[in-house]
Amino acid sequence: MSGYLARRAGQAIVVVIGVMIVTFILIHLEPGSVARSILGIRATSDRIAIFNAAYGLNQPLYRQLISYVVQVAHGNLGTSYYLQQPVSGLFAQRLPRDLLLLGASTVLALLISLPMGIYQAVRRGGLTDNVLGAASFTLYCMPAFWIAVMLVALLAVQSHVFLPEAPAGASVGSMLAQPRALALPVLTLTLVQVSGFSRYMRSAAIDVLAQDFLRVVRAKGLPERLILSRHVLRNALLPVVTIVGLSLPGLVTGAIVVEEVFNYQGMGLLFFDAATHRDFPVLLGSTLIVGVATVVGSLLADIGYALLDPRIRYASR
Amino acid sequence: MRLIHRAAGVAAAAALAAAATACSSGTTSSGAAAAPGQPQQGGTVTQAWVGATPNFIFPYAPATNTDGYNVNLTVPLWPPLSSDGEGGQSIVNPQESLYSSLAYSNRNKTVTMTLKPWKWSDGAPITSRDLTFTYNLLKANYQNWINYIPGTFPTDVASVAVKDAHTVVISLTQPTSPDFFADDVLNNVQLIPQHAWDKESATGPAGDYDETPAGAKAVYDFLQKQGSQISSFTTSPLWKVVDGPWTLSQFNNDGTVYGYVPNKNYSGPVKPRLATVVNQSFTTDTALLDALRAGSSLQVAGLPLNDLNQAAQLKAEGYLTTPVPIPGVAGIQLNLYNAQVGAVFRQLYLRQAMEELINRPQLVSKVYSGYADPGNGPVPVAAFPSWASPLEKAGGPYPYSPSAAVALLKSHGWKVAPGGVSTCQAPGTGPSQCGAGIAAGQPLAFQLAYSSGRATTDEQNAAIQSSEAQAGIKLTLKPEPFNTLIGNTGVCTAKSHAQNCGWQMVEFGYNPYALYPADNGNFATGGNSNNGGYSDPKTDALISATLQGSDPQAFFQYEDYVARQLPWLWLPLREGIEVYKGNLGGFAPLNPFSSGIDFQAWYYTK
Repeated sequence: MSGYLARRAGQAIVVVIGVMIVTFILIHLEPGSVARSILGIRATSDRIAIFNAAYGLNQPLYRQLISYVVQVAHGNLGTSYYLQQPVSGLFAQRLPRDLLLLGASTVLALLISLPMGIYQAVRRGGLTDNVLGAASFTLYCMPAFWIAVMLVALLAVQSHVFLPEAPAGASVGSMLAQPRALALPVLTLTLVQVSGFSRYMRSAAIDVLAQDFLRVVRAKGLPERLILSRHVLRNALLPVVTIVGLSLPGLVTGAIVVEEVFNYQGMGLLFFDAATHRDFPVLLGSTLIVGVATVVGSLLADIGYALLDPRIRYASR
Repeated sequence: MRLIHRAAGVAAAAALAAAATACSSGTTSSGAAAAPGQPQQGGTVTQAWVGATPNFIFPYAPATNTDGYNVNLTVPLWPPLSSDGEGGQSIVNPQESLYSSLAYSNRNKTVTMTLKPWKWSDGAPITSRDLTFTYNLLKANYQNWINYIPGTFPTDVASVAVKDAHTVVISLTQPTSPDFFADDVLNNVQLIPQHAWDKESATGPAGDYDETPAGAKAVYDFLQKQGSQISSFTTSPLWKVVDGPWTLSQFNNDGTVYGYVPNKNYSGPVKPRLATVVNQSFTTDTALLDALRAGSSLQVAGLPLNDLNQAAQLKAEGYLTTPVPIPGVAGIQLNLYNAQVGAVFRQLYLRQAMEELINRPQLVSKVYSGYADPGNGPVPVAAFPSWASPLEKAGGPYPYSPSAAVALLKSHGWKVAPGGVSTCQAPGTGPSQCGAGIAAGQPLAFQLAYSSGRATTDEQNAAIQSSEAQAGIKLTLKPEPFNTLIGNTGVCTAKSHAQNCGWQMVEFGYNPYALYPADNGNFATGGNSNNGGYSDPKTDALISATLQGSDPQAFFQYEDYVARQLPWLWLPLREGIEVYKGNLGGFAPLNPFSSGIDFQAWYYTK
C-alpha cells in the first residue's frame, strides 16, 4: 500500500506540473491585451508599459513560464493583477469559507442521502420509493440558482426565517456564529447534492441486496437492521465514495452560482471574476489548487475503497 | 457656477458606484422626499455596493491599480483640495474645500492658494508644507500615479513657492482655465500630512525627504507599499492621521466590508452626526435586492433599472427611491482605422446617417423607462445642465430621421437596401460619391461589440440594430464581458495600428465623464480614451481653448462642434435608482460625484 501511495504521489506531482504548464500556455495564448483589459479604456501607453514591466509581461513567453514555475516552487503564487493582493492571501481568505460551505453541505447531504437511498432500495417499487424518487428527480432537474432563489423567496423574503445573504465575517468562526445567514446557502447545496447521492446509493444498495451473501447473513439470523448497516451500507458505499472523492475539487473551486446568489465571497466567485478580468495569477493559482485537489480526491477515494472492501489491495508495483 | 469634476480614479469610482448605488444629481432627482423630523446624533448606516472592494489606502494609487473604489475609501479620510458637490448641485463646495481662496494672475499662469487654518486629526495644523509635500511626491512620481492627466498637474507646474504658513504660489508653464484648475486639477489632489508621512520606512523618523527627487521617490514607494497592506489599514499610525470628517474603523481582509467613525478633530463645517458608517459589498445586484426585500439592515443601496417594479415592495420596507444620473457619456465608438470599414467610418455623412437612425428619445422612454440622459452630445445633459449647450438641450444636431438618413446615403452614391445591406455604387471622392478609400460594392455591414451582462444594454443595441436596418446598415451584435471587450479594443490611429484593431464598433456602456475634454481624453488627438483614432485639428484647438480661458462660450463651441462631428455615435445613458431608508436625512438630493461618500451630511431623524 505504501509503495502504491508513493507511486501515486509521484504521478500526482507530474500531473500537477503538467496542468500548470498547459494552463499557463493556454491562458497566455488568449488574444487581446492583458494590461489594457486590467487598466481600462483610459490606459496610457506609459501605464501599460509600467504594468507589463511590473508583471513581467514584456518578457518572452518561455521566460514568463520559467519565472512562474520558479516562483511557484518557492511557494509564491504571484499577485493578483486586479485585486492587487497576493494570490495565496486571497486563497487563504476564501478557501476556509468554501470548505465550510461545501464541507457542511456535503456532510449533510450524505447524512440524508445514504439512509434515504438504502431505504428506497429496501422499499423498492413501493409508494415511499416512488415519492422519494420523484423528489430526487425533481431536485436533480432544478438548477442550483433556481433552488437558491426559491429558498430566498420563501424563507427569507416572505417569512424572514433566514437571512438572504451569507455571513459577512472574515473567519469561519464568525460565520458559524451567524447560523441564520449560513443556513440557506448550505441548504441549497445540500438539496442539490442529496438528489445525486441518494440515486447512487439506491442503485448500489439494490445491487448489494441481490447478492447471494446476504442470504447467508440472513440464514445466520442477523437482524435486518444490522444486515443493512453492516453489510448493505458498507458494500453500497463504494460508488458513493468515488463520487465524494471526485467532488473534492468542488470544495476548493467553490460554487459560483450559490456564492453569487447569497453574496458569499468564496473561491468560485474569485475564479469567475479572475476569468472575466483576465487576472492570470489568480486563474493559474486556482487551476493549480484544483489540480492538486483532483489528484488528492482521487487518491482518497482509492484509499476509501481499500478500507471499505478488504478484498481490494493495491499492489506495490 | 463652477462645476466639479471627479478625475480619473474618482470618476471611475463614481461611475462604477453609480451602476450599483451612488452618484446622483439633485438637479433632476424626483420621487425623493426629505426625511421629516429632527436630526439625531448617532446611529449606524450600512450602505450597499456591488462589487466594490477597495484594496489600497494611500490616496495615490500606483499606475497598475485600477480599483476605482479606492477613491471611495480614501476621500472621506483625505478629501481633495477642491471638494465635490454641494447638496444636489454639481459644484465645488467652497465650505468643504481645503482652500479659502484661489487667485489667478499673470494671465492665469500663476495661482495663489490660501489654505484654511484647519487641523489634522492628531492636532497638527494643515500648512503650506503639506501642499509642497504632496506636490513633491507627485512631481517625482507622476508616471506611477493613476490619476495623472498627461500634460497637466504636476508636469505643467514650473514651481510651487511657499509664501507663508497657509499660502502657496503655483507657477504654471501655461495658462489655465480657473474652472478647469479647480474642477479637474485640484479635485484630483488629496492633501496628505507631511509631518506624519514624510518617511522612508515604518520605523524611521519623519523628515524632509521629499525635498529631493530621490527622497520623494523613496517616500512614495514606502507609502505605496504601506498602502497595499490591507491588514494594517485600521492599525497603521500612518492612516490614523486624517483631515477628512471620518477615520477608518473597520476593514475586513478582502475589502467587502469597511466602516468609518467620525474624526473628532475634523475642522470642516459639516461635522458627522452618524456614529458609524459601514460599506458592504455584494457580489451582484440580485443578492443586494434580495437583502433589501428581506428587510435587511441596509439603509442605502442601488436598485437596477430592471428591478424598478420592486420599488413598491421596497417602499413597504420603509425605503424611498431617487434617480441617479451617472456622470458619464455614452456612445458607440467607431474604429476609423479598421482595415475593412475604417474608410467608411471616416465619412461624416455616414456617421450622421447612422446617428439619425438611432431613436434616442424612444430608447430613453422604452428601454430605460425614462431614467436616462438623452445622450445628445459630449456633455451629459441630466448631470450637468448648466454646461450643456442650447443645441444639446434641444435634442442635439441629429434628431431621429430615417428618411433623412436614407436620403443622405443615396446622395452619396449608396444603393440603399432597407432590411438588407446597402452597398456603394458610386465610388470616388466627389460630393455625390461614397468617399475616399471606399470601393464599389463596399457593404454597410459592421460588427458592434458591447459590454454584456445588462439587460437594458441588450435591449438598446437590439433596437439600434433594428433601426439601422431601415437604411440597409447591417449590425452584427457581439456581447462580451467588459474586461474582455477592453482587452480586445486596441487604440487605432492613422499612424499606429495597434495589436487589436480588428474591432469595428464598440460600446463600453459609457466613459466616465470629466467636465473638461482634455481630461477625459475621448476626442483629442492621441487622447487616452480615443480608441478609434479620431483626429481633427479644429477639435484639438477648441479643446485647448477650453483649458486656457474663462469664457463659457469656448466650452459650448467645443461641445457643439464635437456633437456635430460625431467622433462617437451618441447614445442615451441610463440613470441609477437609489433606495434609502425614509428616516435618513441629508441623503437626498444627490449630486453626481460626492453622493455615497459624503455621509457626514447624513443623519437619522426622529
